[in-house]
Amino acid sequence: MIESLLASLQALKSTPEFAVGLTLLAFQLALLFYRKSKIVLLQPVIVAVTMVIAVLLLLDVPYRDYQLAAEPVAFLIGPATIALAVPLYSQLRRIRQLFGPILITLVCGGSLTVILSVLFCWLLGGSEVLQMSLAPRSVTMPIAILVSDSLGGSMSLTAAFVMITGVFGAALAPWLFKLARVTEPAARGLSYGINAHAIGTVRALEEGEECGAFSALGMSIFGVLLALSLPWLL
Amino acid sequence: MPVNGLTWLVVLQLLGAMLHHWLLPSLPGPIIGLLILFIWLLCYGRLPKSLEAAASPLLQYLPLLLVVPCVGLMNNLDTLQSQWLVIAGSLFGAMLITIPLSGWLMQWLIRRQQQKRGRHD
Repeated sequence: MIESLLASLQALKSTPEFAVGLTLLAFQLALLFYRKSKIVLLQPVIVAVTMVIAVLLLLDVPYRDYQLAAEPVAFLIGPATIALAVPLYSQLRRIRQLFGPILITLVCGGSLTVILSVLFCWLLGGSEVLQMSLAPRSVTMPIAILVSDSLGGSMSLTAAFVMITGVFGAALAPWLFKLARVTEPAARGLSYGINAHAIGTVRALEEGEECGAFSALGMSIFGVLLALSLPWLL
Repeated sequence: MPVNGLTWLVVLQLLGAMLHHWLLPSLPGPIIGLLILFIWLLCYGRLPKSLEAAASPLLQYLPLLLVVPCVGLMNNLDTLQSQWLVIAGSLFGAMLITIPLSGWLMQWLIRRQQQKRGRHD
């Protein structure tokens, strides 16, 4: 019984229906789990990715096969990245108001995350591929993986680092802000956006609308700045 | 389905990919598309309903779309395992410094701007 079930799954495992279905199902389960548990570390992306990897390993499907079959889902990353222009445009008035502080903080804070990640990696003896995969890890994933690829890093390693950064950044930030006495919602938001991108923005939205808006802003502008500058600098 | 807005986003992606190959090999195609859309919105002066209708579900479900590249992690499990100390050291070392520092810097700059404005009023 179980063997014939597994055999029928084996027959389906490299079809788009299987890859897309598995991805959607894992994500819905992860979302449900996150909403019930409210544990910041159990982000839907992480839980869904763990489930998908477990199933693929169990059925012995190589990543390449899954990636090709799941293309209908992954294809939308491009349009979604372009769609980031929309929240950026909606926040135009706030950006104009605090243009100086935003720009200075983005340039200083942003370059510091990149420099420190690469520096620590180099000091600890990490390879060049590892350094180049770490450099763009602070920006939102669709941008990070594209930048990593053009720098000679590994896209999937960068994707992993972006996830880890988002999850732990969002979990550590409230505690670090308390230590540094950062109470201004705009300042907390911008830092969430620069340091923990999408997951930080979700956390920032829980603190309030202004905090969330500045996080989205920091995330998108820093992403564009990094994509524009990093390939020339490194 | 907000097909109208989605069509525009896909057309922008094609345009971005074309410019990427033709003029700007260092910038990823979707980023070029993002910049074109942002500049267009600045010139046009308002946000079309159809574009908003396509953008908001896409951004809401961005985490779902990202599951596919993240699963690529399964090809790097051995790197993560053998290099975990370097990776954890670089990630957390940078995080512990940059998160409070960028928050503190922005707060200081906002307060300074408010004080200046206060003096001018």
